[in-house]
Amino acid sequence: MPRDSDYGTVGETPEERRELDYLFSLTYEELRRLASSVRRGDPSNTLNTTALVNEAWLKLAHSPRFGSTSVLHFKRIAARAMRQLLIEAARRRTADKRGGGVVGITLDESAGELAAGDRELLALDEALEELARLNARQAMMVEARFFGGLDMAETAALLDISEATVLRDWRAAKAWLAQQIREQHG
Amino acid sequence: MDSARWERIQTLFHQAAERPADERAAFLANACGDDDLLAAGVLAMLDEDARGASLLDQEVGEIAGRVTGGEDVPGALRQIGAYRVLKMLGEGGMGVVYLAEREDLGSVAAIKILRDAWMSPARRARFESERRTLAQLNHPSIARLYDADTLRDGTPFFVMEFVEGVPLTEYCRTQGCGVRETLRLFRAVCEAVHYAHRHAIIHRDLKPSNILVKADGSVRLLDFGIAKQMDPAGGPMNVEHTRTGLRMMTPAYAAPEQIRGQSVGIHTDVYSLGVILYELLAGRLPFDPVHLTPGEMETLMVEGEAQKPSAGADLDVLCLTAMHRDAERRYGSVEALIRDVDHYLEGEPLDARPDTVGYRLGKFVGRNRRVVMAAAAVLVLVAALVIVFTARLESARNAALAQTARTQRIQRFMLNLFDGGDKAAGPAQDLRVVTLIDHGVQEARSLNAEPVVQADLYETLGGLYKKLGNFEQADVLLRSALDRRKALFGANDPGVAESTVELGLLRVDQAKLEEAERLVREGLVKTKNLRPPDEVALAKATVALGEVLEARGAYAQAIAVLEDAVKLQSAQGAATPELAASIVELANNHYYAGHYDVADSLNQRALAMHRQLNGERHPLVAEDLINLGAAQYDRGNYSDAERFDRQALDITEKFYGRDHPETAAKLTLLARALIKQEREDQAEPLLKRALAIRERVYGAVHPQVASTVNELGTMALKRGKLDEAQTDFRRMIDIYKSVYHDQHYLIGIAVSNLASVEMERKQFTRAEQLYREAVRRFTETQSAEHLNTGIARIKLGRALLRQARYQEAEGEALAGYRILSKQASPSVSWLKNARKDLTSIYEALHQPEKVKQFQTEIAAQPALAAAR
Repeated sequence: MPRDSDYGTVGETPEERRELDYLFSLTYEELRRLASSVRRGDPSNTLNTTALVNEAWLKLAHSPRFGSTSVLHFKRIAARAMRQLLIEAARRRTADKRGGGVVGITLDESAGELAAGDRELLALDEALEELARLNARQAMMVEARFFGGLDMAETAALLDISEATVLRDWRAAKAWLAQQIREQHG
Repeated sequence: MDSARWERIQTLFHQAAERPADERAAFLANACGDDDLLAAGVLAMLDEDARGASLLDQEVGEIAGRVTGGEDVPGALRQIGAYRVLKMLGEGGMGVVYLAEREDLGSVAAIKILRDAWMSPARRARFESERRTLAQLNHPSIARLYDADTLRDGTPFFVMEFVEGVPLTEYCRTQGCGVRETLRLFRAVCEAVHYAHRHAIIHRDLKPSNILVKADGSVRLLDFGIAKQMDPAGGPMNVEHTRTGLRMMTPAYAAPEQIRGQSVGIHTDVYSLGVILYELLAGRLPFDPVHLTPGEMETLMVEGEAQKPSAGADLDVLCLTAMHRDAERRYGSVEALIRDVDHYLEGEPLDARPDTVGYRLGKFVGRNRRVVMAAAAVLVLVAALVIVFTARLESARNAALAQTARTQRIQRFMLNLFDGGDKAAGPAQDLRVVTLIDHGVQEARSLNAEPVVQADLYETLGGLYKKLGNFEQADVLLRSALDRRKALFGANDPGVAESTVELGLLRVDQAKLEEAERLVREGLVKTKNLRPPDEVALAKATVALGEVLEARGAYAQAIAVLEDAVKLQSAQGAATPELAASIVELANNHYYAGHYDVADSLNQRALAMHRQLNGERHPLVAEDLINLGAAQYDRGNYSDAERFDRQALDITEKFYGRDHPETAAKLTLLARALIKQEREDQAEPLLKRALAIRERVYGAVHPQVASTVNELGTMALKRGKLDEAQTDFRRMIDIYKSVYHDQHYLIGIAVSNLASVEMERKQFTRAEQLYREAVRRFTETQSAEHLNTGIARIKLGRALLRQARYQEAEGEALAGYRILSKQASPSVSWLKNARKDLTSIYEALHQPEKVKQFQTEIAAQPALAAAR
């Protein structure tokens, strides 16, 4: 479940919210399934989020629950789900508290850096939450583009703004977020 | 900062960005007045903007690394090809099976959809050719494959004859088949397998659940050749998911060569048949996974020996020959196996000869760990059971006396399991809980005259099996309990509700999460509807739902549910084991969600409760301390983490002993906290102890041992003890090579670490050789663009630099630098190293512009991803 139920639709009834929760869960599960199948096919594959989101849409579009959902609306949900998925995975990896399990293998000095990607992601997640407080639309934009793989045109349509505005806001958000990550992460 | 300020910052940012770089500082100083912070903030942003290599310019997938495998939730499926789905028949490790009908033909079939099968074009082609071959298998004992196709997204599915029957092992057990009858059935199975072999089709995944016996006593084999579709290399079979998505192999029926990823053949099926026969004759598996972790299991499988099934000398030989771990020593074909079965049935001597060296009693490695943990679990369960019955006692009025009697019987029964041992003293050394539980089951079976007590016992024992990881047994017992209770009391009985929830929790362990949630929710609803209301049961069912949700990764939902449970259980007033357990669950979920402060306060609460309930020296107290330590470690408070870890270690040592794997785990955690505080001299002895324990428990060749050795080697290197480091890393290489057979990136890491030692020794040529090997390994097992490959190339460059081979050094260093720049943010120390090396290289090559380029800290590379 997203930490803040911020989908931007006004006047949601409890039924609508439940429905949205359900759609979110379905999407989340589907993305997780797809992501793991990418991994199983070839462990050195990286995740192409755009492709995953598109595949998930193909799969779920047939589901009756998604009947009245538009592609764009779906992608917004998927972006949030993807973010959730990756952040959870990053957390799990950095939370090796048992000690009895697989001990983190270190490449001598680069011990910390192998986990850098995870820590960066977590730092991004936090910074994104902060950004959402300052400008919800901008945060949604970052989420949609970065985690959901939406392109410029889709993002503009989603947020009902011009592409020029998207470009501007994206540039500023990127710079600020990078700064936040660097300060936190080093 | 608030929204207004953020707006201002952005405006300034865009305005400043339009000006030439050297005018920006002045512009901002002017615009911001004496708000230095504002100006500094905007400048920092401009700096990031100029680098153009921020996290967000990359594909998130490159940074996110591996996402551990997830469970599958099939979307609502109505139609598969020409078939209309009627219902789901079952769920297994490989996929889901549905019952479907063809409306135009009016016939039914079973459709199996393979989960997560990766269909590259090459595999698709092979899939096509195979479906034709498989469809040709026409044998009375083989379930017909009617068709095979793919869904729109490429997921393969198989349409098969729908067979109504029970697994072979279950059939023989419930029908009380004698040896001859069993062998006749087994022979029929062998005939079918042999027929397939004559068509050059190997099953690869023979196990009782794939061999059904119909009501008329005829056998049907399922899933021929389907296992091949799961893995292009014909690698390890029978993978099942654990809760956390880790692949846990259940190689009970898989041949050693299958586990090792080597080629499969007729001999592989022969092996599986041998194991099946063993199970039919001895009533248990030759290598019972109950006791072992997957790593231990693998070691045992490829090195250990099985106990005799003790079904008579000849049958023992037959069995063990079929399942000999050395493929050469098995029956060469299923036909040979059938021949010896016939010999036996005719009373003639067998062709196979006993292995004179073998027949040693099997060693179950690491038995202690599981057993002792189970004992602790049993204690918790006893307490829980007593409490549940006591609560019921309070709420039932008429049956009060009968309940009391039952409670006392159960308590006596449970206590007897411990042979009157003193519970407070901790587990006895030789406590074989599994044996005790087996006895318990036997005794329970004899209680047919007391069906209510019997059902209760099945429930309890099923729960114990679940804790031991023996899910099949647990499944049988828990379902029996549920059925009996339904029959005795009807569907709306508290016992039925409880059993439903328990079964749901078992499904979690079996990684069948959809069914788990369904059952638990069903149980929860039933519990809510109980009259009179049962608060304890309600709390328990709520916690169960929390566990299911956690297993599905729905942490926020789990938190909400668990908070309800905690509220309910707190209403009782007193501290109870259930309440403490719920609080721990809740704390975990908060931890995973990143709410460290909340997790801490909850863990403190649980800690206090566990101390009160179980005393200071109890494993649950140790786990709470570990959790508190972990939260501190994650936040960088290493001395606080050390404090908690030390306490946990102390308790664990006293409870389990100095030489126990649990102790090894705590030692490692403490050592890590010490290393972070630069106290390696104190960490070393701890790690050495942990190593000794793991060597004894898992054997010298085990990944756990290797990783501990690595930590020691890294420490030794850091402290300049080069010989020691070298020995450690060499050992690490050996272990990983034995376990993973040369195809694993961890070997690359070990080789690279070894190379570092050579560098310290100034043996640069030698180091160069090793780094080259490391680069090759990483390229092969991960990719040429992987972080590890990049780092290894930089290191290789350094080795070449030290040999003054500047041109070559440049090539490697640049390559590594390029790879790293695409991934990490520029502050990573290896990028710094690369820059330093390149600066030295270009100085030696007399290329001052390049020297300057790398000396300044700005990345020279343009943003590698096109602006989106």
